Amino acid sequence: MTKDKLSYKLMKIVKSALAALAVPVFVIYIMVAKPDYAIMNGLGHVILPVAGAVGDLVTWPVRLVGDGIHWVRETSQIRTENEILRQKLDAALTNKYACDIAIGENKKLEHEIDVKRASPYESVVADVIFNDSVFHHNTFFVNKGRKAGLERGMVVVSFDSRLIGSIVDCGSQFCRVRAITDSDSNIAVRIAGSDVSGFLQGNGKKRATIGFFSDTQFVGRQGLKIMTSNISGVFPSGIYIGDMIDENRVDVLQPNQNTRVMILKYNNMDSYK
Amino acid sequence: MNIFFYYFYKFWPFLITLILWRLATAFWNPAGVLALIPIFYYTFVRPKNCFGLIGLLFCFLIDYRCNLPLFWTTMFCLFYAINGFQSYLDIQNMGKNACGAFLVFIGIGFFILSFSKINWANFINNLWLFCWLGILYIPITSIETTFKKQKP
Repeated sequence: MTKDKLSYKLMKIVKSALAALAVPVFVIYIMVAKPDYAIMNGLGHVILPVAGAVGDLVTWPVRLVGDGIHWVRETSQIRTENEILRQKLDAALTNKYACDIAIGENKKLEHEIDVKRASPYESVVADVIFNDSVFHHNTFFVNKGRKAGLERGMVVVSFDSRLIGSIVDCGSQFCRVRAITDSDSNIAVRIAGSDVSGFLQGNGKKRATIGFFSDTQFVGRQGLKIMTSNISGVFPSGIYIGDMIDENRVDVLQPNQNTRVMILKYNNMDSYK
Repeated sequence: MNIFFYYFYKFWPFLITLILWRLATAFWNPAGVLALIPIFYYTFVRPKNCFGLIGLLFCFLIDYRCNLPLFWTTMFCLFYAINGFQSYLDIQNMGKNACGAFLVFIGIGFFILSFSKINWANFINNLWLFCWLGILYIPITSIETTFKKQKP
């Protein structure tokens, strides 16, 4: 079909008209479907695995070489990492006795004031498949989905039980996780060892911002530990998030620091499943 | 060998888009945004049959992975409509593989995204991606031409 033919020109106009028609449809959908975007997510659940599978098939030699380089680099760093871990282990053992005493005291106090603390009896281990920290959004995908019993709203933590984020969209074999550094993330937190609550907001940067403290006189400082508070019911209470580095910034776990995560089957109803 | 080249050229636009989207890495190609280069090139500059739909599909996939609801998909449709209805700017005959038009396309996108969350980190991140896509545009779009020259 040459450019000068009438049919070509007509076809071009029809295609452009269709594209022009799609723009207001998309804009209205974006405004109406917020925050669930059910149709978009439903389409994503079908298209993403198919495109991913075809992409895997096409790009396997490149990824094989990449994985090989990654493996060599990791192996060469094992000795250094081992030394660092030994130092950390020594430091941890030094604190162990103090922690044991504190845990004992804590249990005694909980018993005295009749605190009932639930604990998760089920969690799912999943691998990070796509890490998509881009623009002001920090999301990533894990390779377990509804088939593994996961649902929207479940909590994602690292293997050292540090909060990473929560599931925002769940396909049959994958889930999209919103990290706490994502600009759409805003969670209720508590300063460990005090009654002061606040809100931790992601901003797309490496560090999240904390503010709106329940105690207006409270001033944050370096070293204070932040944990979830379950005020809004989004996260269970008591999950360690990170340390404050100044009066309003918190050093949190980055999505790219994990290749494997744990998903707690928490149902957003102030209890674990 | 000719059959190989025939199919290679036929599927190259789809392959390069798929490869760039799939080989996403956190810093160099977050969420496969580099796939915007072949999407733009093979839709507006060297249009291939039915590639518009592929472009739309991959824009959707980039949006889905970026957690940007239909942003690049809408941008793509908007540019498609504008390009189709006007005859003042002929993108297909622009120099340097229409790199200028591509920079306008992604520039508007990144500009809007910079204002969706105003902070320095977001601004620098967008600036970096704008420069990186601009730098890689001509090399990526020239691959096909380079292969064609070597065709036996």
